[in-house]
Amino acid sequence: MKKALTLAPVILLFPLLAAGCWNAREVNDLAIITAAGIDRLEDGRIELSVKIYLTSPIGSESGGRMSDQPNSDKGTSVVLSATGINTADAASRLQKMISRTVFWGQTEVYLFGERMARAGLEEPMEFLMRHYASRERSLMFVSEGTAKDVLLLSPPIDRSVADALIAMAEQQTGLNITMKDLAQMLVGKSGAAVLPIVRISTETDRQAAYPFIEGMAVIKNGRMIGRMNEQATRGVMWLRNEIKRSTVTVTPDDSGGYVSVHLLRNHTRLLPRIEGDRWIMTVRVTGQDDVVENTSDLDLSVPKHIGKVEEELEKFVEARMRLALELAQQEFGADVFRFADAFWRKYPKIWTANADRWDEIFPKVEVRIETDLRIARPGLVGRNFFRREQR
Amino acid sequence: MMLSEHLRENVLRLEAAYSDCADVIFHDMLIGGHTPAMLVYIEGLIRLDELDRHVVEPLRDGPGPNSGLESIRRQTAVASVKTVDSFHRLVDEIADGCPALLVDGYNAALVFGLSDREQRAIEEPTAESVLRGPREGFIETMRTNIALLRRKIRSPKLKVVTLRLGSSSKTPIAVMYVEDIADPSLVREVMNRLERIEITDVLETAYIEEWIEDNRYSPFPQLLSTERPDVASAYLLEGRVVILVDGTPTVLVAPITFFALLQTPEDYYERYVVGTAIRWLRYFFFAISLLGPSLYVAVVTFHQEMIPTTLMLTMARSREQIPFTALMEAVLMETMFEALREAGARLPKQIGSAVSIVGALVIGQAAISAGIVSAPMVMVVAITGIASFMAPRYTIGIPIRLLRFPVMFLAGMMGLLGVILGVIVILNHLLNLRSFGVPYMSPLAPLEKRGLKDVLWRAPRWMLNRRAKG
Repeated sequence: MKKALTLAPVILLFPLLAAGCWNAREVNDLAIITAAGIDRLEDGRIELSVKIYLTSPIGSESGGRMSDQPNSDKGTSVVLSATGINTADAASRLQKMISRTVFWGQTEVYLFGERMARAGLEEPMEFLMRHYASRERSLMFVSEGTAKDVLLLSPPIDRSVADALIAMAEQQTGLNITMKDLAQMLVGKSGAAVLPIVRISTETDRQAAYPFIEGMAVIKNGRMIGRMNEQATRGVMWLRNEIKRSTVTVTPDDSGGYVSVHLLRNHTRLLPRIEGDRWIMTVRVTGQDDVVENTSDLDLSVPKHIGKVEEELEKFVEARMRLALELAQQEFGADVFRFADAFWRKYPKIWTANADRWDEIFPKVEVRIETDLRIARPGLVGRNFFRREQR
Repeated sequence: MMLSEHLRENVLRLEAAYSDCADVIFHDMLIGGHTPAMLVYIEGLIRLDELDRHVVEPLRDGPGPNSGLESIRRQTAVASVKTVDSFHRLVDEIADGCPALLVDGYNAALVFGLSDREQRAIEEPTAESVLRGPREGFIETMRTNIALLRRKIRSPKLKVVTLRLGSSSKTPIAVMYVEDIADPSLVREVMNRLERIEITDVLETAYIEEWIEDNRYSPFPQLLSTERPDVASAYLLEGRVVILVDGTPTVLVAPITFFALLQTPEDYYERYVVGTAIRWLRYFFFAISLLGPSLYVAVVTFHQEMIPTTLMLTMARSREQIPFTALMEAVLMETMFEALREAGARLPKQIGSAVSIVGALVIGQAAISAGIVSAPMVMVVAITGIASFMAPRYTIGIPIRLLRFPVMFLAGMMGLLGVILGVIVILNHLLNLRSFGVPYMSPLAPLEKRGLKDVLWRAPRWMLNRRAKG
């Protein structure tokens, strides 16, 4: 009896073994996609392009060895595309073209062609969010022109387009939107979303063309309705509390020069208030900064002068935010700052009652900006002692 | 069977027992020139010159006739003399190397404690070396081993109970414990189990280990074996029982827990911060030594999305031309590694280096260049190898080495699900194990908070309660 009991778990294991290796996928049988692009053709069909990493480059004799030269990885990808009536259809057609199993688990970058974005992101996003292998942490971009063109690039510095775009997004100089963020924005209270725009630098004779991030796409109700330039994008990022690092150059009055400040530890808080019919949003920006260059007459070891620079900085940041607010509120009417969520969190009942009217309310929201930027480290010297008159 | 009063009868019986034993010497003598007597001993096991000087010589002009066995004993100059009246005891004593004196007219024999054996010097045990701490190790002579422990615990509470096991080897066994610390019921249980053993010979502690274990089919050791007197005495003072066997430097400690097998004496000889850190390093690599190749196989065949992209691409490239599946690759390499280790362990040192060179070439560079295995796999095997060398006791390393293979197969067939299944089965078994009634995984399961300070970390000495509870 006791023996039977000890044998029971072993016997119970057998059915599991019978299931066998049904879902085993050896690495050798995978087509690893590093980046994918989704375009909409003129006839409304969807073109899915994928960048597949080539694991066995032609002419390589490295065998099982890891590559010795770091650069030998370059240019070892191919771009394949397939069209279908929707993304899933295109994906299945793509699989038919490839001898190996298409593997989405390592896809770190998704690009939407501009036409696709303008037609609506709901369809491809539904496919991507439902798919079991796609990563919610992948970065999303809108490309100027078609996404396929971006995928076809092989940038000179990075291993692949995907790497280049990830690195640029992570520097926080532009927007950094993951699939999860995009999905949340699309279904969020405000109904508006933003995505960074990828442009292709034109090819010069010295170097190959490369992609870079410039500006952002404004998406409302799932459709791209317009774009903002670099400066407005920065303003949006300030309001969305996404500025992590940046260098700002200001010209204090009567100082005869520039002061460049490196912004660190920035934080933006949204403080909503509803007074009767007036919807007020107080934006409080705090930050600590380092002076990196000073070509003005100011002596930064004097607290009064520091105050002057701080004031100037605050004005600058406020101007950026005002620019973004103006565009978003008046031109696009798209709440890309997630004001709706802030109001909803503080006044759930009032917001719910007015949810249908949000498009009317948003352009009229009074935005008060309070900035408190401090210069924490003026640097090792006070005055610019290379200027003759200051010696 | 008792001894007879007639010398002749006794000698005949002894001669019959020791027929064709050229090394047994029967030396007849006349005590005081009148009483016939026979000195019986085994050549090479006794101190002959002392026997001559302190027994044979004084007895030559010994006490008068019929003065009694006691006066004959007093005539000799030997401190350790026993009187034996049973024939079997007598044979045992002679076999132990004690010369026996049979005197005509007495139904008892005098046994002199003049045994002498060739013995190894006390050396540092090679299997359990430490950087700091005592360098002495047990040797093959049990008497010396008991003395080594007695020298560490100078209290009369240290008790030694001896018995003999093995119908042909008649090996002396000693059970040691510290009175008032060790649970009397534990001592009784150990004695009971030892007495129940039916065995012909005991050449090593392993012979009795298998008899007295709680679960004889488990791959895990339920007794701790050590060659170090400091380890044995530390356990004695924790209330455990130490079993010594004559003829082997390895002693057994009972009861034992899983975590005790993962401790080294140096945990206690180093500062407690260091001891704790190293202990955790050991736990971590212990898990690696069991699961390392399995995790690799599972991730590479089932969960490729878990690998960071850059690493994945590099790995994909290095695996591209490998003819085997990851599972086969892992099994191949691990088997090769185990074979190399086994080959290296048995070889003389001079040839051993040849094995390591060939091994490094075969399972290292050459296998990769030939495209038979991938470079990451070799790394995994190497890391697992290092991890398994970190097991502080050889006896706990072996089951892990063994269990690695089934877990690897599970990983190859079911991915991480299989790995987890394997771990659950192993844990289940460990939780069911007991060593002399003590749960194997204690103090973690069943949870005993006081015990954790010597498991989760090595608490500073003033916080450690050295006594095991219960």
